[in-house]
Amino acid sequence: MLRAKTQLISHSLKGKWYSTVAKSAEYKLTCGLEIHTQLNTVNKLFSASTNNPFESISHPNLNTSYFDIALPGTQPILNYEAVLFALKLALSMKSNVNLNSQFDRKHYFYGDQPQGYQITQHYHPFSTGGYLTLSKEFDSIKDTEKKINIIQLQIEQDTARSLHVHQSPLNKTSGEDILIDFNRSNVPLIELVTEPDFHDTLQIKAFIKKYQNLVRQLKISTGDLEAGSIRIDVNVSVNEHPRVELKNLPNTSSIIAAIDYEYQRQMQVLKDGRIEEDAHVETRAWDGTKTTVLRSKESAMDYRYMADPELPLITLDNDVLEEVAKTLSKSADEYIKDLMSEPYHLSMKDAKILTIQNEFNDLYNNEELRQYYVDTFKSYTKDSTASSKIVISWILHELLGNLKKLDIPLKLLSDNLLPPNKLANLLTLIHTKVISNANAKQLLFHILDEFKTSRCVKLEEIDFMTLVKKYDLQTTNNIDYASLEEGCNKILSEIKKPTMIEDIKSGKKKNSIKYLVGLGMRKYQGKIEAQEIETMFKKILHIK
Amino acid sequence: MSLKSMISQLPKVQKDFNIFTSYIKDAPITNRINDTPLSGKVGAIKDNIATKDFPTTCASNVLKTYNSPFDATVVELLKKDGAIIIGKTNLDEFGMGSLGLHTIFEPVRNPLNDNWCIGGSSSGSAAAVASRISDFALGTDTGGSVRLPSAYSAIYGFKPSYGRISRWGVVAFAQSLDTVGILANDIDTIKKVFQTLDKYDPRDPTSLNVELRDLLKENLLKVNTSDKIKIGIPKEFIQNELAPEIKQTFLKYIESLLKHNKYDVYPVSLPSIRDSLSIYYTLAPAEAASNLAKYDGIRYGTRDTKKPDIIDGDFYNTSRSNFGPEVKNRIILGNYNLCSEGYQNNFIKAQQLRVQMIDQFDKIFKFKNILTKNEPIYDIDFIISPTNLNLPPLIHQGSTISESNPLKEYMNDIFTIPMSLAGLPSISIPFVNSKPHGIQICTQYGNDEKLLEFVKDTM
Repeated sequence: MLRAKTQLISHSLKGKWYSTVAKSAEYKLTCGLEIHTQLNTVNKLFSASTNNPFESISHPNLNTSYFDIALPGTQPILNYEAVLFALKLALSMKSNVNLNSQFDRKHYFYGDQPQGYQITQHYHPFSTGGYLTLSKEFDSIKDTEKKINIIQLQIEQDTARSLHVHQSPLNKTSGEDILIDFNRSNVPLIELVTEPDFHDTLQIKAFIKKYQNLVRQLKISTGDLEAGSIRIDVNVSVNEHPRVELKNLPNTSSIIAAIDYEYQRQMQVLKDGRIEEDAHVETRAWDGTKTTVLRSKESAMDYRYMADPELPLITLDNDVLEEVAKTLSKSADEYIKDLMSEPYHLSMKDAKILTIQNEFNDLYNNEELRQYYVDTFKSYTKDSTASSKIVISWILHELLGNLKKLDIPLKLLSDNLLPPNKLANLLTLIHTKVISNANAKQLLFHILDEFKTSRCVKLEEIDFMTLVKKYDLQTTNNIDYASLEEGCNKILSEIKKPTMIEDIKSGKKKNSIKYLVGLGMRKYQGKIEAQEIETMFKKILHIK
Repeated sequence: MSLKSMISQLPKVQKDFNIFTSYIKDAPITNRINDTPLSGKVGAIKDNIATKDFPTTCASNVLKTYNSPFDATVVELLKKDGAIIIGKTNLDEFGMGSLGLHTIFEPVRNPLNDNWCIGGSSSGSAAAVASRISDFALGTDTGGSVRLPSAYSAIYGFKPSYGRISRWGVVAFAQSLDTVGILANDIDTIKKVFQTLDKYDPRDPTSLNVELRDLLKENLLKVNTSDKIKIGIPKEFIQNELAPEIKQTFLKYIESLLKHNKYDVYPVSLPSIRDSLSIYYTLAPAEAASNLAKYDGIRYGTRDTKKPDIIDGDFYNTSRSNFGPEVKNRIILGNYNLCSEGYQNNFIKAQQLRVQMIDQFDKIFKFKNILTKNEPIYDIDFIISPTNLNLPPLIHQGSTISESNPLKEYMNDIFTIPMSLAGLPSISIPFVNSKPHGIQICTQYGNDEKLLEFVKDTM
């Protein structure tokens, strides 16, 4: 197991998330996904307990009501927040919402299943159909466009979590104990089942990424695979090989590796003509290096599905669907397209940063960041006809860098210190050369640092022009070139390594000139633009 | 009888009739008569209803050691209105049985004759009332479990409309049917206790909501009280096997009604009644099998720690073998009906027939069903029938009856099951004192108050 883990880590470290296994044209891979997504509602699905499955590490069984541990006489009460979240997801994927969906019980015995059944939706699921579209442009797949069809969405309960321990407080002697933590019991899940529409692992990787971003954009789940907020089973079949369901896939790299392994294995089975004796649907688990049989169809369980006799139907009105649809924003692809076209003209990379939420972040979410960018952009371009590239580069590099360094949330900054129009003011000052780029960076850091020291409370309104004057940061408008030349020559004379200057001149170490410019900037305290200093050095050293 | 003397008699009554699974030893200190509606009233609670003050065993080895950390809503409401709970009453395990014999405790004896079965499954609750140790008792009625023991012990046993009394804290047998019922020696006590318990409970997903309760009140005001009351007798209830003594009492009751100008009696037909046993024994055991799946011994109740509890990949065989034989029968039958072929062929069919039966009731009653909104065709106010087919069997014969042929025991519920399937309010009344000849009166869904009024007028 340890060995398997190391291999997994090295696999993902190399960044090889996509398939490294050559696929043979003769053997066609077909996959479908079953995705379980934990909804981040305030309360659990059928009880008023706090929904926080991650509390388990420090406080097992803290968030458990009588119902969550299935005490006799307890009853489920549906949390309609989960229904709202499911509705947002279904509508976003153009899935047909069932106006009368129903809860069913799926029976099986397991330690993490306190009722002896799971409440899910089997006979009349929440929604059916729908799709997510992948594209070469946005998702780096091979086809120009690929539609992944959804079979259905259903709302269901999560199980408790089993912890296998070798020595527990209860059993000090020997052997393995299974401890059960019910914090996760009855947490709302959505199960999404796709059609078997995937034919290569790039598509699977792209779908997972796109789906994760969707649930984060909708704010219905944290969307993390590693933490178990999203759990994925894969159905794999090569040519006519019977479908195999893969389980125990904790992250994207293990999903891809398991499919690769299964592709090779099934191909070998087909080549060896072992298909006859092997012909039944199997469930196999990925152990980090290989897949092994968990159970085959012959021993498959009959879940004895039964309509829950006390939970009412989830009855929805078309008006509700329309109202919820109105609250949904554009799709991520549409946002990216907008940002890449008139008037913003952002690169796809920058547009994606403003759109795709890779992880939940305490300081900002992509929506706030995008809004901050758009507002700054509008304010900046109102007064200036100049190139607007400075806006995105300052926000993504200077501003975000400082916020992370100083741990300041973007929203607080925008509300209490630096609304978009103020940042636009500073950028205009840079553009009109009132302040040099270097000094502007220092000034920004300085005011952010002060803001942090004063606990991010609302301060007096900032006026950059006043600050520039106060700290004497104005660039020199009328440069005395003679004195600048004298100054630069003095810098050169103080360089202790003459070879360095030779290397700059010969072009061997061209970039070392930046070092000289840096010395110049320090000497003139940034009041002379770096460009002017560089030009002067080039003139002195006869560099073109 | 003062509370103190009542408590002092508990051990003797218990010895005579095996009424309780547990009971109080001393009078509560806070026992003061005040102006709460049930002040001074003494009640007993069927032991499948959760209580903080007593164990909740369901008369099962599986829950023999279980203490609930909370009170059922009905227990909370009774306490709040001043009732004194003297103990938990014996029952057929998890409410499954008609004779009061399927219990891990001794069988309950009938205060009318201690060689007789008292009927089930609310056996101890009926005995507590019949022995007069308790003013009232709560039972649960899934297919007749309040009405049948009330008939056998000659007391009043009322099963209200499904959803009017909260089930939060009632250990589920078959939720689509389970109803808390009230047993007492007089109709006024039934009425009083019902008023205390008849409340919407947000913790119970099947509790009748406030809007529908308001609609019921409105509909009740619309009923013209000057009309003659029409009483129907379903011809499907005419059974050749009916015991002659019970038949006599039933005919006497009809005669007494006809003496009044107020009442007219009509024959009616509800063909679906013939399907009721099949529907019931398809749906109820399936729900039961599902509900009893939680008893794995992990979080509470009995667990055998000496033997392995996973054998050949099957979980909890050892712990779950603690269920009694009748419960095991029903789990097997229920799972049979739930397995994939059984569900489509039997379960779904039974559900459809159940709806058909409700539609037939809706056609006959004058009062409109607020849940189905079906339009009535006829204008019957009440339907009457005997409650029980036979006189109570002897205890020592009872166990052989149920062991040799469980279907015979199931036949006891023939008159009571249709009302359970349709969720209708119905009551068993002792028309002749101290005789185990129950008469069942039932009415449309939600018409509970009129039913109790009618009983009061005719007795």
